[in-house]
Amino acid sequence: MPEKVVEVENLVKRYKTVTAVDGITFDVYQGEIFSLVGPNGAGKTTTVEILECLRTPTSGSAKVLGFDLLNEEMEIKKRIGVMPQEFNAFERLTVKENVELIAKIYNVKPETKQVLEELGLWEARNRRFHKLSGGMQRRVGVCMALISDPDLLFLDEPTTGLDPHARRECWEVIRTLKKLGKTVFLTSHYMDEVEQLSDRAGVIVNGKLIVTDTVHDLISQHGGGIKVSVKGKKTKEAEKILQRFTENVFHDTDIVTGKFQTRQEASKALAQLYQMGNGYRIEIIEPNMDDVFARLAGHKVDERGELL
Amino acid sequence: MRSVPSVFLALMKEWLRSKSGMFFSFLFPLMLLLIFGSVFGGTGSTTYMLHVQNFDVKDGEPTELSKIFIDVLDSMEIFEIKEIDPGIDVNSYVKENPSFEYSYRILKIPKGFEENIRGKSMAVRLNVVVGTFTYIEENFSNYMSESDLQAIEGGREELSKWKNMFPSSEGAELTFLADETDMSAMAVRSILESIINAFNNQLIGVEEQMMSIKSESLVEKNMSATAYYLPGYIAAFIMTNGIMGATSVISELRRNGTVKRLAATPLPKRSWIMSNVFQQTILAFMLTAVMIIFARIIFGVSALPNLYALLLIFIGAVTFASIGMILGGVIKDVEAASGAGSAIAFPMMFLSGAFWPIEMMPSYMQTIAKCLPLYYFHDGLRNIMILDNLSGSYVPFLVMGTLAVIFIGIAIKITKWKEL
Repeated sequence: MPEKVVEVENLVKRYKTVTAVDGITFDVYQGEIFSLVGPNGAGKTTTVEILECLRTPTSGSAKVLGFDLLNEEMEIKKRIGVMPQEFNAFERLTVKENVELIAKIYNVKPETKQVLEELGLWEARNRRFHKLSGGMQRRVGVCMALISDPDLLFLDEPTTGLDPHARRECWEVIRTLKKLGKTVFLTSHYMDEVEQLSDRAGVIVNGKLIVTDTVHDLISQHGGGIKVSVKGKKTKEAEKILQRFTENVFHDTDIVTGKFQTRQEASKALAQLYQMGNGYRIEIIEPNMDDVFARLAGHKVDERGELL
Repeated sequence: MRSVPSVFLALMKEWLRSKSGMFFSFLFPLMLLLIFGSVFGGTGSTTYMLHVQNFDVKDGEPTELSKIFIDVLDSMEIFEIKEIDPGIDVNSYVKENPSFEYSYRILKIPKGFEENIRGKSMAVRLNVVVGTFTYIEENFSNYMSESDLQAIEGGREELSKWKNMFPSSEGAELTFLADETDMSAMAVRSILESIINAFNNQLIGVEEQMMSIKSESLVEKNMSATAYYLPGYIAAFIMTNGIMGATSVISELRRNGTVKRLAATPLPKRSWIMSNVFQQTILAFMLTAVMIIFARIIFGVSALPNLYALLLIFIGAVTFASIGMILGGVIKDVEAASGAGSAIAFPMMFLSGAFWPIEMMPSYMQTIAKCLPLYYFHDGLRNIMILDNLSGSYVPFLVMGTLAVIFIGIAIKITKWKEL
């Protein structure tokens, strides 16, 4: 088992009237991309900001990189890289100036060129921050988080508000971070993002962590299984075959769907379905994080992160 | 503290590259200096201020003749007469009560003024009588009896003895003091001379000098209104830069998440505050330099800040930048923060007497002025830079120093570095 870099124990953050984080416990391991996923207001940012030493928990404890959250704040701050939500830098400073300022604060000799090149910003190094596109600004934010060569990076909703192209660019950046051997702690309300990027994920709703597991296990256990649909003339025949392998069979006018918990079960049914001949079409729908979330939270989340 | 220079530099660049920041910090003050300096700086008065120091006092009351003389001067519309107590040393009085509205011209009425003029007047009259007697004696002796002649001779001798009883035959000598650079002093002296001549004539009706006037030079710092108020302008704009500039910068950086980004680094809160205060201080020095150069070129003001002035400017910049940090730290909304900044800065600017004498304002407003930190700031700065009066800056140093410590303390306490 890899080393734990974040250990959270029964963390609570209470404001006057609301409990933003309601007793959550989880670990993050060395070298992985861990995602905290949930709708807006679920407590993702509060949790991350507590771990970044930007907020004080009401109760509970946590260790970050082996240091105690409450007593060794400076040790933690020195070793982590942070990109806050709705992040901003000095607007009239250039990309390079902003990145090197952070290096100065961390008292490290900046490998500015290397970092900027890794994130495709070397050409734009002399452009002022406020003149950059949203996607480029996020990349500057990642550079600023990365310049101190931290062991652990916190990226709070790094792609919120970006267009699809910029989001994909940002994903590439995050994958690069993993290749560099960094542990990445991510928050997001985009289920596809979490699925694409993370090794492990925790689903958080209303300040409570519902489940934490590898993305693979989350989907296989909570995704609601694999759907196999048959469309066309032979739905009657297909229904009979499907019923041999699963109890969950639904029949519409010209479509029949069977749900399977595992791929093995589905593949047995599929093998027989393919022997029916012609005149129909088979569709296999693998579950995704959207399904996981919908099943666990009882709701879906829209593009803006709101619960539906 | 190690990262203060880097953060300071970042703040400085951010400010230098902001057009509105530059306008507000430099151009706006310079425009006001230019306008106020031109409007309030004129010396086109048609009456002359004349200070009179009457030493001719008997039993605590001015002698009658000296009173009449002063009344005559006062009745001339050309003079505005102000009396100075005879117990005062005028040279220090002038230094302690500098004025930009007028130059000091002082007329000293000597002790024994009345006595000497009466004496001289008597002597003149007696001379006339003695002269007449002599003339009669010389020209008409042939027509007179011996006894008549003896009577006249006796009377003449008696009168000559009398004449000797009036010791000052020189009359009264007034002293006129004015600064050598005072262009109007000559005019004032000529006016005084013609008044004195008329006075002489009326006293006796003969062309004999009862009263004369001599000039002495008065060492007065010659100062224009612009010079007098330059420290006021400097102080006022250091104040606005701090209270309005720092407030909006801080609240904007807080709103847009830059502060949160910095708070997530190992940068200590104190260093962040120090960097901001340091930036405001440098800004204050830059503003001072620009104002002084500008005032020199446009208005010929030659004031230069010495070490004490620079120290006070530093203390002032710290005080007002701290107030800015407090406002920016308390008020989240950027618009509201800069609104609060101007709601404090503008009334303070005009109430504190930075641009005009607070004596012009009603007394309750003067009381308000003396409760404002800006009053002490510009007052101290003026005492050091313009009046060469270091002792006049002790209270301002004390007040401003105390406020600087208090406000920076509150700023450190109030600036949030967590739960942003």
